[in-house]
Amino acid sequence: MTSSTTPINPTPPSLSLPPSQFARLQPHAYLLAHLSPPPASNQPSVRANGRATSQFRVTSANAGSLTHTNGSAVVRIGDTAAVCGVRAEILHTKDIASWSVLQASSEQNLDKSNDVGVSETHDEEDRGHIQDLNLLVPNLSLSTGCAPGFTPGAPPSALAQSLSHQILSLLHSTRLVRADDLRIWYQPPNLDSEEFRNAGEGMDVDTEQSEGSEREIKAFWVLYIDVMIISLAGNPFDAAWASVLAALRDTKLPKAWWDADNETILCSDNVADARKLSLRGLPIASSFCSFEGDAAAGWRAVVIPDAEEQKQKKGAQQRWILADPDGYEEGLSQERASVVVDKENGKTVIVKMEKHGGWTVDSDDLRQLVDVSARRWDEMKRILDQC
Amino acid sequence: MADRRRINGPPGGTRPPVFASLQESSTDIANRAQRQRQPTELRKIFLKAGLIPTASGSSYLEFEPSASLAAARSNPKSLIPPSSALKLACTVHGPKPLPRSAAFSPNLVLTTHVKYAPFAARKRKGHIRDASERDLGVHLETALRGAIIAERWPKSGLDITLTIIEAEDDRWWGDAPDSHDASWGMMNVLAGCITAASAAIADAHIDCLDLVSGGVAALVSDDSSQSASSAPRLMLDIDPAEHRSILSACVVAYMPARDEITELWLKGDSSRAALDRNDGRTGHEALIDGAVDAARGANTVLAEAVRESIARSFA
Repeated sequence: MTSSTTPINPTPPSLSLPPSQFARLQPHAYLLAHLSPPPASNQPSVRANGRATSQFRVTSANAGSLTHTNGSAVVRIGDTAAVCGVRAEILHTKDIASWSVLQASSEQNLDKSNDVGVSETHDEEDRGHIQDLNLLVPNLSLSTGCAPGFTPGAPPSALAQSLSHQILSLLHSTRLVRADDLRIWYQPPNLDSEEFRNAGEGMDVDTEQSEGSEREIKAFWVLYIDVMIISLAGNPFDAAWASVLAALRDTKLPKAWWDADNETILCSDNVADARKLSLRGLPIASSFCSFEGDAAAGWRAVVIPDAEEQKQKKGAQQRWILADPDGYEEGLSQERASVVVDKENGKTVIVKMEKHGGWTVDSDDLRQLVDVSARRWDEMKRILDQC
Repeated sequence: MADRRRINGPPGGTRPPVFASLQESSTDIANRAQRQRQPTELRKIFLKAGLIPTASGSSYLEFEPSASLAAARSNPKSLIPPSSALKLACTVHGPKPLPRSAAFSPNLVLTTHVKYAPFAARKRKGHIRDASERDLGVHLETALRGAIIAERWPKSGLDITLTIIEAEDDRWWGDAPDSHDASWGMMNVLAGCITAASAAIADAHIDCLDLVSGGVAALVSDDSSQSASSAPRLMLDIDPAEHRSILSACVVAYMPARDEITELWLKGDSSRAALDRNDGRTGHEALIDGAVDAARGANTVLAEAVRESIARSFA
């Protein structure tokens, strides 16, 4: 049974296996034995790695240690480590093919929306600029030798592509980065007022219109967000997202202005002039997997109509939802769930919820998972605030 | 044309930021990083083996930041970093059976991959390995092949992957716009790669003749007077950002127990070295000796890291 039950009789050594070998030969039985100890033994149900089912691995974060980045972070969740570096580059509006069209349409929207309410359209425009112009470019790399399966030098694997895309869509849907932070404005010199006005002074749409002289966007900052998974031991998404979040919190953009003489954007290298991004909220991702004692149970319910009653007769809990699965547990489970939550004024907000690969996790479970994720949010906030 | 497997930025392309201070005056001597170490003094190396449990062997290496970088970090004034310090992670996977399609090999087949992270250097790197990264991989492979006892694993392969998280600069940033000299930072990166890979291979319990470590030496002329009499001097373990002009540099991969060099890479003109009168060596000999000295220094750190990882695996 469990690894802890050692044979009492001195058996020949060839028949007894050390736990590590048992774990390799019979992984499913090994984890099942840990999670459902015999009732007589009075042992609590723990996972093979010693954690309780809703316990996350030890997490640490460290920000700002890389020299050539605008913002960087290293996040370790157990043995999974992700390094994220944010590099900012400039996109001139004259390099955007459809810029004049975009601008015209956004002005039309503004005119229409003046009576609807400015804040709503402002948000909408925010999303439009970041999404239409690809101002956020996250890429995740697994070909760092982080795990045996990924050949270095090969194109990104399906997992890497899917993780990159998940990060991108989460960045867009949470609207974490404000488009205002990424715009570089130019105010044509007014003869009677001061010479130049730079970005970041007043973003209000109304003042701009009342002044009369048109302030125009000359360029955007593009954030290249690159995540290198240095070590992969399960649950890469949580680690990658946490590193992206920590790196963006660390990101400083230099003060930039349009230099009319050179017709280019110049930046100030003074640290005092640089400003941090003002992010919206702090969405934290928590991933779970469902380990089934009997993997075919769900299917049997469909094929054999009275299977459900038989199962209830047994009364045994046949599946466990494991928080923050490590690589070993991920290999043994089909069903995954991922919850991204944020907290606004103490209230938990679900930002994203994803579940696939099975049907054992029902709506009650999902409600519990949100609670677990909310607790995880508090923990992660403490860790990210410290770094 | 666009890489469909990755998320691409704006199709029109982006430009790295241009700093106004760079345009005004590029000869700001006060800002220039200066070497604070003695010519034969090496930088400290942080090396730890066995950090990545999913790999059969792994290591992490970090060079000590230069004095100017340390000062800039503790008291940031400018957004332009004065120099950078090498940080890299190395993993070893194997020995594992070669795929069936591979030809028979009586020896261990070594594959090395060196990849810079996109944010590793002053200029953003692409996701696909470029020629210089492939070149580093080939240099690294020759350096390691001489150390591994390859006959013990017929029909097997060994994958060595290095991820450069932060690279060394090729020159001081202020000189960058109008300089056309070689990429000196690559040589430091190679030396770091050799030392880290050696630690990871030992961590994977692969039989080697000896621990092979990398060292760099260079001939530099630092005099601002630029007089003809100022002959270039030999320096060990250079940080290219700290020197005005590097004439020649040399990397060796060196095994102290056998006093053997498995890889030698010498670049530039080494004929004008300023040596003692009674020193009979030519410039390149002095350069190689210097690099070997630097490699000996790195070897002490390497041996300690390997001893630590072995002790942990038997504990």
